[in-house]
Amino acid sequence: MSGLVSVAALRGSRPVWAFGVLAVTWLAAILFAHGFDSVANFRYLVQTASFLGIVAVGQTLVVMMSGIDLSVSGVVALSAVVCAKVASGTGGGATGITVALLLSALVGAVNAGGVVWLRVPPMVMTLATGTILSGALLVYTNGSPSSAHVPLLDSLANDRLLGVPWAFVLWLGVAAVAFWLLHLSRTGRYAFALGAGHDAARASGVPLGATAFTAYVSCALLAGVAGLVLLGFTGTSSLTMGNPYQLLSIASVVLGGTSILGGRGHLLGTVGGALLLTLLTALLTSWNLSEGVRQVVLGILIIGLLLVYARERRT
Amino acid sequence: MRERITVAARGNTDLLGLLALLLVLLVAYQHYDSSLLSPATVTILSAQFLPLILAAAGQTTVMLLGGIDLSLGAVLGLAMAVFATYEARGAGDVVTAMALALCVAVAAGAVNGALVAYAGLPPIVVTLAASFLWGGVTLVVLPQPGGHVPAGLVEAYNNGWYGIALPAVAVAVALGLWKLLRTTRHGLALYAVGGNEHGAYASGLHTRGVKIGGYALAGAFTGLAGIGLAIQTGSADPTIGTPYTLNSIAASVLGGISFFGGVGRMRGTVLGALVIGLLTNLLLFTGISPFYQLVVQGVILVVALALKTYLTREAAE
Repeated sequence: MSGLVSVAALRGSRPVWAFGVLAVTWLAAILFAHGFDSVANFRYLVQTASFLGIVAVGQTLVVMMSGIDLSVSGVVALSAVVCAKVASGTGGGATGITVALLLSALVGAVNAGGVVWLRVPPMVMTLATGTILSGALLVYTNGSPSSAHVPLLDSLANDRLLGVPWAFVLWLGVAAVAFWLLHLSRTGRYAFALGAGHDAARASGVPLGATAFTAYVSCALLAGVAGLVLLGFTGTSSLTMGNPYQLLSIASVVLGGTSILGGRGHLLGTVGGALLLTLLTALLTSWNLSEGVRQVVLGILIIGLLLVYARERRT
Repeated sequence: MRERITVAARGNTDLLGLLALLLVLLVAYQHYDSSLLSPATVTILSAQFLPLILAAAGQTTVMLLGGIDLSLGAVLGLAMAVFATYEARGAGDVVTAMALALCVAVAAGAVNGALVAYAGLPPIVVTLAASFLWGGVTLVVLPQPGGHVPAGLVEAYNNGWYGIALPAVAVAVALGLWKLLRTTRHGLALYAVGGNEHGAYASGLHTRGVKIGGYALAGAFTGLAGIGLAIQTGSADPTIGTPYTLNSIAASVLGGISFFGGVGRMRGTVLGALVIGLLTNLLLFTGISPFYQLVVQGVILVVALALKTYLTREAAE
């Protein structure tokens, strides 16, 4: 009896769907696309998925409390550009990393402050901070960001631990901590409550300020970490390097079965969503499509996947 | 008469505040550029402000429906690319190119609207994903900045055609059509669906159709903005549309359009767009790096929204 119940629960669970679609796509890729059956390819895939995945884990925390963070693209660029500039200048790699992470956390705090105190809708607040960030980076770098070689980041992005890329290990670690924060800690319960019903949660004494600050600062911090790993991976920073992560991180969250309206979902679904999107991107790249066509196909695929299993019940 | 004015003023306090701000900006502008009121400057400024005004009008249409369009910049770029890549030689070709670009933009808007109305997907997600899609289509149409707009048209548009400021006329016609629409039942339906979807449905409105129509209309405004931008600059750039997403939202918010739909007037949005445009130009006059533009635009948006929330909270309590 209990077995039947759990099967039914699994079928109704959107995060499980994410992994199901992932498994099917992966199988199809191995069977029909060239070069997806090797260990090296698998390793490369989880390594590149980590960059997106780390951002998406942070995005999940914010989306769960019915917020949204459109400034992640700006923060990814911010942390990479600032770290590269500091590290290639007078400061060392450690200073660069510290400054970059502090600035990222600051952006998250500003986002939360705007949402909580100024009561600006999250979408607009984060869109505005993202724009301010890209302007500030233009001013800071004078339009030409620098490249830098930071040994710590380099090995973090490219080296392996027992054959597993460090980036992937980092992602799993981040996901584990976020899992605890969202599903096991009190703050996580608050986030779910705020996402399910803002006013009811406030009336029952859920601290909006503390929860929002935790979520937005964690999200920005993780975007900063992703920027640093990306800097280690490519060795250069650019003002637009964060751009793909804005849509893709939100798509990972939603494809992972979390409701964009908040209050419903699971963090592990996001891990599946990020893997799925990275796999799709890799597939499209392997077909040698032009940049524009690739973007069109990915856009259609995302919309299609959303249509299949991320529809909101009409209220 | 006097009574009517005071009644009108009481109902539009935020618009009056915006108007006052605009006047202050105009005086400051006059200080830097004393030729402000000459026909030549008016023509150039209207050519420069047209894309933002029309893009903001498109954003307002969607926001009145209770939605938001994050793909506006991408659709604007798409219309621009389609218009400029069509090899226009004579007047007939230009009209064909315009019609083509407009059709593409309306279709893009209608697809957004259909996804929102029928699929039950939230507008943020739909339009964010759509921005990816339309941005990709733009890159397929026009991989690099380029394209071609007849030089005579560019000249007439930017420097006046027999002394007529064509961009100003275009904006006036577009806004006149909006005003006309507002008086019909379709315009009323737009406000009704945005204000209270259930109520509108219960009153027998075809809410899904209204949504698709609204998004398509927004596409038309955005398409016109893209065409205007192509004529103003004489070519097209696939990525130039991006800032218009944020600025159109900022102009609408400044103009008093509510995020929850159904509240606000187009005249407010036009004032908001003018304020943002003038402020950006003033910034250039002060001689600071144009890189600061993005910073200022973001700050304007946050300050405007925070002020608005603060003021309405005061009024409510």
